Amino acid sequence: MEYYTLDGIEYWKYYIMLLYYRFAEMPPVVRVVAIFTTLCIIAIVLLVIGNLHKSLKEERRVRRIQSYDRRFKEKIIELATTQELMDVNTISEELGLPKNFRMKTKTTGSMIPILINVQRNHKAEINRPNWQRILQAFKVPAYFEMMMRSRKTQLRIKALKNISDMDADLKEAVASRYLFSKDKKMMMNARFHVARFGTSYPFKALEEDNDLLFTNEMMVNFHNILQYRHDNNMSMPNLIRWCNRQPVNEELRIFAVNEIRLFKRYDDCPELLAMLKDCRDEQFACALIKALGELEYIPAESEFRHRYAMASFAERQALADALGVINSGNPEVVNYLTYDYESSTDHVSKMKALRVLYNYGRRGRDAFNKLKAEASPANAPLFEHIECNLLDSSKYA
Amino acid sequence: MPDGIQNFFNYAVIIYSALLVSSYIAMVILAYQQHKRHKTYHYEKNTIDQLRTSPYTPGVSIVAPAYNEEKTIINNVNSLLSLDYPDYEVVIVNDGSKDDTLKLLVETFQLVKVPYAYVEKIKTKPVRGVYKTSSDNAAFKRLTVVDKENGGTKADASNAGVNIVSNKYFVCTDVDCIIDKYALYRVVWPTMTSSRKVIAVSASMRMSNGCDVRKGQMVEPRPPHSLIPLFQDLEYTRSYLVGKQALSAINAMQNVSGGFGFFDTEIVIKAGGYDGDSFAEDMDMVARMIRYMCDSGEDYRVVQIPETCCWTEGPSTIKVLARQRTRWGRGLLQFFIVHRDMVFNKTYRQYGFVTLPYILLFEMLAPLIEFTGYIMLLYLIITGGVNYKTVWLTFFGLYCFAQALTLTIISYDIYTGNSFRKRRSYLWFMLASLLEPFLYHPLNVFYSLRGYVKHIFGAKMVWGNMTRKGFQQQPGTEAEAAQPVPAAEEAEIQEIEE
Repeated sequence: MEYYTLDGIEYWKYYIMLLYYRFAEMPPVVRVVAIFTTLCIIAIVLLVIGNLHKSLKEERRVRRIQSYDRRFKEKIIELATTQELMDVNTISEELGLPKNFRMKTKTTGSMIPILINVQRNHKAEINRPNWQRILQAFKVPAYFEMMMRSRKTQLRIKALKNISDMDADLKEAVASRYLFSKDKKMMMNARFHVARFGTSYPFKALEEDNDLLFTNEMMVNFHNILQYRHDNNMSMPNLIRWCNRQPVNEELRIFAVNEIRLFKRYDDCPELLAMLKDCRDEQFACALIKALGELEYIPAESEFRHRYAMASFAERQALADALGVINSGNPEVVNYLTYDYESSTDHVSKMKALRVLYNYGRRGRDAFNKLKAEASPANAPLFEHIECNLLDSSKYA
Repeated sequence: MPDGIQNFFNYAVIIYSALLVSSYIAMVILAYQQHKRHKTYHYEKNTIDQLRTSPYTPGVSIVAPAYNEEKTIINNVNSLLSLDYPDYEVVIVNDGSKDDTLKLLVETFQLVKVPYAYVEKIKTKPVRGVYKTSSDNAAFKRLTVVDKENGGTKADASNAGVNIVSNKYFVCTDVDCIIDKYALYRVVWPTMTSSRKVIAVSASMRMSNGCDVRKGQMVEPRPPHSLIPLFQDLEYTRSYLVGKQALSAINAMQNVSGGFGFFDTEIVIKAGGYDGDSFAEDMDMVARMIRYMCDSGEDYRVVQIPETCCWTEGPSTIKVLARQRTRWGRGLLQFFIVHRDMVFNKTYRQYGFVTLPYILLFEMLAPLIEFTGYIMLLYLIITGGVNYKTVWLTFFGLYCFAQALTLTIISYDIYTGNSFRKRRSYLWFMLASLLEPFLYHPLNVFYSLRGYVKHIFGAKMVWGNMTRKGFQQQPGTEAEAAQPVPAAEEAEIQEIEE
């Protein structure tokens, strides 16, 4: 018998054939499982390599940011907070940037987190014109415009978030084309951008979208936007129009009423009261009652008392709170709150009525003491709870 | 052994293994999509900035039961009081501690007993008193201490805390856990972005053994350098970054951990709170919340977020691990018996059609199947009926798959930004992954089976304390350095066989 020593390609051919025949001998189930597992392992390994590659890239980016941070941060803070107005060339010179500084994705991209940090930590002291020129010196607007032209939604959203984070003065047009994008996140971020920086009527898209589902995140964002516009003396939307919008969007109406309350729009109170008179929706009614209460609109008191008989649990809570905030000293309110305490069957409502009575001037305190004297042993702890100044009963659940 | 049985077993095991591997693959893909979506749309600093100043940010209460925690309670409460969130309160429930836990709290935080009108929305052991601070310190004002008679379970103490919380949401945690400073922003955010009602949010938890902890805050997460906590850390990471992320993607989360779980207060109360008789009270709570939502026809979501929000101390000895795993095994069986009517019940949607069958097939039956496999292999070795080629091929394939899975977890961990500061720390994970199938996994199989047996034969389990070594806290100042380091606290779950 002759023996051959295989080498090179022959060896590998033989080895692969051997594997194939061994494999072919196995039961079909084992073969299927083996193929499947092998493919899966390959897929996972590729995934791992991809992720590790991304992580290494991210690590390099972080190192680059750190080096820029050491080089530019102090100077940027100094230039942004100085009261002296500077032009772009002077700022570039001060920062040590070359005369014909061209925007490079890596350089400008790495500057973004540093600029956001400066904006976040020195918001109050920043001289806005200088700040915009610093951004121009680093070609930040051009960078964002380039990102907004990107095919990747992720990059566009990131750009919009960054623009708002660093208060970059960028044309609203860069985002207007995405106001009705199919990607909901993209659409909302574009709307946030236009609402924040827009000059003509920035809330148009919001008002025209009949199917809009208004989440808490949107409330948070839109409130911040309105606050920004308010602080920068920019035009504010007509919130009452949002309340009367057709077709009705309940969440948007409630949000609008809350914003009227938060921005102390006293002039809108008569209209809010008129809405309350016709209101049948519990949540909207609660928002209206809370707004009228916090805006201390005394004419609403009689409507509050009138509403009590048909009010739900949540509405009664809101009514008691609102009357407590208005605190007009009206004896009828004291009677109403006493009745509220006596007719309530749950501890939470009783506590609420008692808390308002306790803080409702001399008349309220007298009524509280009278009720305390007549209280049953089961209700006595409620009075002690209210009288204890260490307990914040406004949050009694 | 008849050939028929042998063939049936062979094919059953192969099909089962294939299903298990397929389920892992599906989960890896789903989890990747979740991580990617999270990375694309979530900007943490932006979120924190917005929530910090917004009037729409919901209030959160933190409920932390404490039982005989005098050695660590002050550090831990201080840590809870120093979180970053605009509107939160901390409710510590002293569950009838026999040591000076309450006394220390009263002295340190200047607490006085207040006439709180306590309403028992969920039945618990009697509450002896409620304490609030008389100090002007603003942080202390967030603290409420509830002193109650010992209920024997964490569930009873948690329920007492739930009865007193005043916010729309609450976080249930253990008093000895270290919570990330920004954890509350992270768990609140899903409730703000979802168009459906979010009833619970789970965040990743890791082992604190070996980490650098100062003043109750995590300074540098490190992998544990002893084997049992290291295995557990790997197991937790795998579960949170792959399993739970994937199930969260299809709204089929099975569990929100008792160590750190965020819940909707109203739904928890309506679902009846934690069940004091359950050995898997966290899993049971989520099941009952889902049952409540589905029975009332309401839409809901249970969300898993990838960020690590909490570090807990894992068992460091085999004895404690054995007790923990036996209890978990027992809890799993008990849970399944209680909620068996939800399986393949269309009322319970994904929970009935995906979550519960998955738990049954791959979590509850797995130890039984594995144990039968060990017996079968032994029998075949003795009788000489082993096809060693097939055995090695199968073993090698599965072993490679397990290692690939660990690599995936590591890459996910780095991708989501939870990474250890030093990349070489992941070598510990790789070490654990190489050893896990030989050292850790068989132990878990055995303890789970022991739990099943104990439950079937009705052995009574009485809850006591858990053995803790205490965090190796690095003192922040010289004055603190002079203070004694908490000594090892030794007390364990006592099991009484009846």
